[in-house]
Amino acid sequence: MSDERDTPFGPEPDLQNRVGQLGDDPEMLEFRADAAAADRNVTLPGDSPKEQGLEADAAAAAEQKRQRRYLVRALLRSPTFMIGLVVVLFWVFMALFSAFVTQSFTAQDAANSLQPPSSAHWFGTDDLGRDVFARTMAGARSVLIIAPLATVLALLWGGIIGLISGYYRGITDEIIMRAIDVLLALPIIITSILILSLFGKGTAIIIVAIGALFTPVVSRTVRAAVIGEREREYVMAARLRGERSAFVMGREILPNITQPIVVEGTIRLGYAVFTAATLSFLGFGLVPPSPDWGLTIANQRIFLQIAPWTVMFPAAALASLVVAVNLITDGLGRTFSK
Amino acid sequence: MLRLIGRRLLLMIPTLILASMLIFALAEVLPGDVGRSILGPYATEEQVQLLNEKLGADRPLVVRYTAWAGGFVTGDWGESALLKVPVRPMVLEAFWNSLLLAGFALVLIVPTSIALGVFAGLRRDSVLDRTITVSSLSMTVIPEFVSGIVLLYVFAVWLKWLPVVAMPPEGSPFYTRLYYLILPAIPLMFLELGYIARMARVGTVQVLSMPYIRTAVLKGVPRHRVIFGHVLRNAMVPTVTVIGSQVGWLIGGLVVIEVLFVYPGIGKLMVDAALSNDVPMLEAAVLLVAIVYMLANLIADIVVAFLNPRIRMGG
Repeated sequence: MSDERDTPFGPEPDLQNRVGQLGDDPEMLEFRADAAAADRNVTLPGDSPKEQGLEADAAAAAEQKRQRRYLVRALLRSPTFMIGLVVVLFWVFMALFSAFVTQSFTAQDAANSLQPPSSAHWFGTDDLGRDVFARTMAGARSVLIIAPLATVLALLWGGIIGLISGYYRGITDEIIMRAIDVLLALPIIITSILILSLFGKGTAIIIVAIGALFTPVVSRTVRAAVIGEREREYVMAARLRGERSAFVMGREILPNITQPIVVEGTIRLGYAVFTAATLSFLGFGLVPPSPDWGLTIANQRIFLQIAPWTVMFPAAALASLVVAVNLITDGLGRTFSK
Repeated sequence: MLRLIGRRLLLMIPTLILASMLIFALAEVLPGDVGRSILGPYATEEQVQLLNEKLGADRPLVVRYTAWAGGFVTGDWGESALLKVPVRPMVLEAFWNSLLLAGFALVLIVPTSIALGVFAGLRRDSVLDRTITVSSLSMTVIPEFVSGIVLLYVFAVWLKWLPVVAMPPEGSPFYTRLYYLILPAIPLMFLELGYIARMARVGTVQVLSMPYIRTAVLKGVPRHRVIFGHVLRNAMVPTVTVIGSQVGWLIGGLVVIEVLFVYPGIGKLMVDAALSNDVPMLEAAVLLVAIVYMLANLIADIVVAFLNPRIRMGG
């Protein structure tokens, strides 16, 4: 795989690659396998598979570092990625520190309810006289807790399931894939309504529900990537070396499919923000007085005709976050595909 | 072709049975006590017991599942736990309302997004192309209640061009109903716009690079004939495929839009049933949606097969 990549840093030192990945030459492969098999029986100092592995690891690590540096440079040059990143970082900052830079988002002031934007309240006030600017900034927190954690869960579960079903194939694969078909037989939003109506509300339950519902799609992506890798020489070599399946999956295949997993992760993150916001809009997420955007839009929309600012600013904030996450996905996808 | 449809229909049955088991498990088995989840934490133990007996929830699981699934097939969908009326007429009425909204949205979605995509593809890499691609994708990723509420504000509250609600007064003629559905249908259109337009664009770009297009242009075929005769027809296949794959999003979008516009469709019915723990209503509605969702996917596959002669002939 690394053989086809073009880098701006001159020709790749090919030999190192070959040591790291055991080359394409079948004879070489056979030789290495034999050597490895022999090594297990007669362990000579300095020639143990462990030390060979270390050497190869070092070469592979240097290789990875170079690759990563190249990717980072390309990403920094991508305008879509950078715009998305700046907006997301802005909301992350607000989620963490909005309490220090805005007024209180819970302080009520009944005398000044539903006031239009002014210098005292940049985004106006809501029905309880709370500052809409402060609430809009603080609203980033819940969604930025739920969506990334749900995505991580989905990547973890989906990664494990995808690795197992792609690596073992056969009957295991068949059973897992049929189970996934059934899970996907219902639109995600409907399954999550079912789950949340039965297990009650709460941040942890939403995270687990979204994570679980995104797992099938992630595992399909990972499975496809694993199937692309499992016939390659380095996997075969690891097997012939007598490595355990868990090792081959986790240490050999996984590092080679990180790119599709990262892209899948950012795609899921966008959908997770979307789903989390939708669930709280529908009333299955957080409860007042949380400044969560979806919840605020649901609760304040009755004032749309007399005080649209209570709804429009959280709506714009949510839109900016979702679009930004998707810009990052787009930038990553384009850079990786190059 | 018929064999293909038959095989797919047969394959649908086991998936559907498993899905119904999943719904049953989620709704009745996992929460532990159906009576408790309907009555809530403040009911006494005797009340819960009584309701469980009345619902038959004290019987073994297999018996309950068979009774429920069998009842659904034979048309006995149970009684609403909240309203004490049969579930079936309510679910079906809501379903037709949703179907009208979804159908109307689809009528808007398909030509608009294909037109945008083909337009962008014909002027590939121009400013117009970038604008169409970026804005349609942005609209697609923004949650439908966000775009819905912005549209509601602009067109209903501010400009007053369209009504704020989605249902006309009782007894209005059909075209008035459609007029009231314009505003809810637009955010649903946005939800699909990006994907379909992108597919149409890619299809157009691909077709335009084909030698037969160059031949057509060189032999002097007028531009509109090239576009309508060759480009559109060939750009359709990937587009229809993606429309089929988006049915799930359309259903999810319906749920949200119906809640936002207080439209009495099946999405709103499900959300209300879920929020009020009306288990029989929720189960029936979800199972119906699952069936429709699978059928829609099947129809999309058949249409794609029909458009693609290689699949059609190979059957």
